[in-house]
Amino acid sequence: MRGWKKTLRRLPGFLLTFCIIIIVLAPFLWLFVSSFKTDSDVISYPPRFFPTEWTFAQYKYVASSIPIFSMTKTTVIFAGGVTILSVLFDSMAGYAFARMNFKGSGLLFSIILLTMMVPFQIIMTPLYIEVYKLKLLDTYLGLILPRATSAFGIYMMKSFFQGLPKSIEESGRIDGMSEFRIFRSLMLPLCKPALASLAIFHFMNNWNDLLYPLMLTSSSSMRTLSAGLAVLVGNKVIKYGPTLAAAMISLAPLLILYIFCQKYFVEGIATEGVKE
Amino acid sequence: MNENISREKAPGGAPATIKKKYRPQQQKSAYLFILPSMLILTVFVFVPLFASFIISLLDMNIFMQDVSFAGFKNFARVFQDDRVRGATWNTFYFAILEVPLQIGIALLLSIYVAKNNRYTRALRSIYYLPFVCSMTAVGIVWSMLLDPNLGILPYLLRCIGIESISFLKDPDLAMPTVIVVSAWKGFGYTLTLITAAVLNVPSSLYEAAEMDGANTWQKFTHITIPGIWPTVSFCIVTTTISALQMFDQAYVMTQGGPLNRTETLVQYIYDRGFQTAPYDLGYASAISVYLFAIIAIITFVLRKFILERGE
Repeated sequence: MRGWKKTLRRLPGFLLTFCIIIIVLAPFLWLFVSSFKTDSDVISYPPRFFPTEWTFAQYKYVASSIPIFSMTKTTVIFAGGVTILSVLFDSMAGYAFARMNFKGSGLLFSIILLTMMVPFQIIMTPLYIEVYKLKLLDTYLGLILPRATSAFGIYMMKSFFQGLPKSIEESGRIDGMSEFRIFRSLMLPLCKPALASLAIFHFMNNWNDLLYPLMLTSSSSMRTLSAGLAVLVGNKVIKYGPTLAAAMISLAPLLILYIFCQKYFVEGIATEGVKE
Repeated sequence: MNENISREKAPGGAPATIKKKYRPQQQKSAYLFILPSMLILTVFVFVPLFASFIISLLDMNIFMQDVSFAGFKNFARVFQDDRVRGATWNTFYFAILEVPLQIGIALLLSIYVAKNNRYTRALRSIYYLPFVCSMTAVGIVWSMLLDPNLGILPYLLRCIGIESISFLKDPDLAMPTVIVVSAWKGFGYTLTLITAAVLNVPSSLYEAAEMDGANTWQKFTHITIPGIWPTVSFCIVTTTISALQMFDQAYVMTQGGPLNRTETLVQYIYDRGFQTAPYDLGYASAISVYLFAIIAIITFVLRKFILERGE
């Protein structure tokens, strides 16, 4: 009798969490199966959830009619390039602020923290002009360079390095290692989890970003997936079916990464929560 | 071993002098370590930040010819422009409803899933899924699911007798729809932060409350909420700031329409500066300074009333 009552009391929670699982997953499932529909299935009425006939036609159409390969290439180079450079520079700066004594370190660090509060659109217009004047508009370098470091990354790595024991770099100094070798061979290997979280954080944000790549690129082959798709959909130059296939292509890499490296996706976020 | 060495040296000459001996060399390397980051932040954040205030005082378009000083003319235009007024209203409309919705869903769910077992961990990782995806893809999927002619949701509603709702094309429904989709995408992020906080509340508090006969709801309001308030207030502040900068959702799902009813300030800035002739960068900058002021004031007010009240 008591067990039965307990089950009843758990019912609302179970129903709620279950309903939300459906609401979250259904659109993904729909996108996945719909990208394999024929044109007539996509626009059929009444609408069908699952295809009557599975086909790769939409993917083939996407591959031949929109520059999806160069868009994917741009996205990989942009998100990957930003991630590599930013993780490197963020951890170097974070290391210096956490473990080295130098004049002005407190002031410089607070200035860096201040940049976290500057919203992107206030610097958007001048940034465009700068990149234009540097003749980097619509180039990989122009996309990567402004993002090659981040205040959040420096902050995160500084907090991480502060937690490591002091004896590590002393042993390196006694062995006569240079400061960079101490950083590279003694300290960096200890913070692989933090580096992975930061890398995922940068990779995801830049892969998904819209306004920034939209502004700094103009040719359709230099567009990232999210910016390029948004433009195609906005201009209504692409039909429903291919749009779904293209959206699936743009999501797949991150979803696969999420399935395998879930821990790091969440950990970067958890650090953000203790920022205050 | 290292400790031994430092201890050996300590009596000879105070450790402070040893430290100082290292300093000049270390200082030089420290500056080299921060150099790349400082250079990039200076060129691509500080310079643009100051430039943005200057550009807002100029008459200047994207071709950057015939640049002239405009004084406060651009700002005068900001306050007379009906579209700025509309976009300000839309931006606030979005923020005021989206933030409580997203945080409310996360709080409600945290009652059930903020526990450390395999089942709840699996639930949480599914809830987080939409946050990983780009707004472009999410917007595309939802626009099609909500399409008045082809979408599944309007069809299902029609089946239960609710006729032809065009969620994203009805001027009164477009913004609420964008808000719900945004909350759908973001609640998993808030839930993750809140769960981490809930798991940090000492379990002894719950045990004590259980002994006093408290029920689930009482435990939630009297122990959990006060315990996680710093995190909740952090979420309120950051979610509000990003809601005030809303762009992606409306750009993908509605292009600011219908009748500019979902046009936000960031979208109007982008439109004025980069999308519509004469690509008036001076005016776009003036609007962004205006938005910056709004964000700064709201951040200040929220911190004052929410963060301090929690202490």
